[in-house]
Order: sequence, then C-alpha cells, then structure tokens
Amino acid sequence: MYLPSAVTKQAEIEAAIARVQQSIGPDVVRIRYEIGEDWSGQWAIFFRIVLTDEAARHRLRDVAPKVVWGLARQLDFPGMGVFPYHNFRSVSEQAVLQEPAWA
Amino acid sequence: MGLADELLEDAHFLADKGITDQRQTLMRRSISTAYYAAFHLFIDDFVEHWEFPDQRARLGRMFGHGKMCTGFTPKDKKNLTTVEQALQDVITAFSQLQKDRERADYDSGWRLVDTDVRNAIRLAEDVFANWRRIKDEDIARHHLLSMFGARSD
Repeated sequence: MYLPSAVTKQAEIEAAIARVQQSIGPDVVRIRYEIGEDWSGQWAIFFRIVLTDEAARHRLRDVAPKVVWGLARQLDFPGMGVFPYHNFRSVSEQAVLQEPAWA
Repeated sequence: MGLADELLEDAHFLADKGITDQRQTLMRRSISTAYYAAFHLFIDDFVEHWEFPDQRARLGRMFGHGKMCTGFTPKDKKNLTTVEQALQDVITAFSQLQKDRERADYDSGWRLVDTDVRNAIRLAEDVFANWRRIKDEDIARHHLLSMFGARSD
C-alpha cells in the first residue's frame, strides 16, 4: 500500500507548525493535523486551526492566509506527496462542539 | 452581471442568513454556492472565447470537477513569480472550496460553525480577485486548458 512520505515526517511537520504559530502570534491558539485521503482518493494533510474568537470573527481574512502561506513556506507538500487542506474555527466554537480532533 | 458573480452574491446572502439564523442547511448551501461561483468563474472565462454562443453551455458541461485542481507545476518551487504565486493561491483556495463543498453536500455528520462559512466566502472572493488579476497571463491560460482536461506536455 502506498503511503506518502509525509507519514514519516511528522517531527518535521510539528516543528514547522510550531514555527508558524510562533511567527503569527496569539491569534493562532493551536494547529492540529491529520494525514489521510481526501474525497477524491488523493493523499492529503488536513490542518485544523483554532483561532481566538477575535481573530476568527474579525480578522479571518488577514490571519487565515498567513497560516496557509506560512505552512506552505515551511513544508514541501508536493515533495511529501500530500495536498494541504486547512479548516478554521474559534475557541468558542470548539468549546461548543468539543471535537477531540480539534482539542 | 454574469452567473459566477450572481452565485457569489447568493453565497454571501446564504452565509449571512445561515449565520444569523444558525441554520445548518443554509450554511451548507452557502459553502456549496461559493464553490459553484468559483467553478463558473473558470467555465465562463473558458467558454467566452468559443466562437459559437449557442454551443457555450454544452462546452461548459465538459468541465470535470476532479481535473480542475491539477496541471500546474511552477518552474522553481522555491521562488515563485508573482503570477505563479497568484495561480498557486487560486488552485489552493479552489481545492479547499471543492473539499468543503463535498462535505457540505454529502457529509451529514459535519457540524458547521460560522467560521467554516466565513472562510468559504473568503476563499471564493480570493479566487475571484486573484483569477481576474492573472487570467490573461500565459500560465493562467495554460492552467485553464488543464482544468478542461488538456495535457500539459
């Protein structure tokens, strides 16, 4: 079974996430990720980004591209054999949903 | 106003209504409509160059959703030109919209939040703005052909 090289590069991915989070600052509360197949069967990395309520509600247009570009600059997704997807939610939204994958 | 712009307006309307009423169905329709707005942006741009207006709708139906995110490889991945970066942003945003639309339409377990909807609108607006900025550039024209299924080599 084919597995993308991203699977073996989790330490690199986590280090990149830490750098991106540090560079953006407190707007980003945490970033989680998962590697799997997308709806079309292609390998992908799914980032789940929790933002402060303020950032999610009033500065999404500013903050979201910083996260997307920051991760793209730090990680060679084509070289890792995955396509990146990014989903965002606020602290309050996660507090209501309580989804473990975002915790 | 073309179909793509009307769909984007509808996506805004559905987003506002869905968030105000906290109605999951409207939020899902907003994401789906935002995706189709971007989808039709590309189709309209492609078929408008077809000489025969009565055949344009038929030509537009030849677009496959799956092919529309492939076909672009920058010359130097580490040093993208401004136009390459804009095209890459279009592809990334459109791919995200495509995934979110798939979930909005078929994943009944997805509990949407306001940020999902706002982000879909943001992505669609970014696709519109970036595509309209670069659509006459060579690499954008080539990518449009790739979206249509043409091989790049």
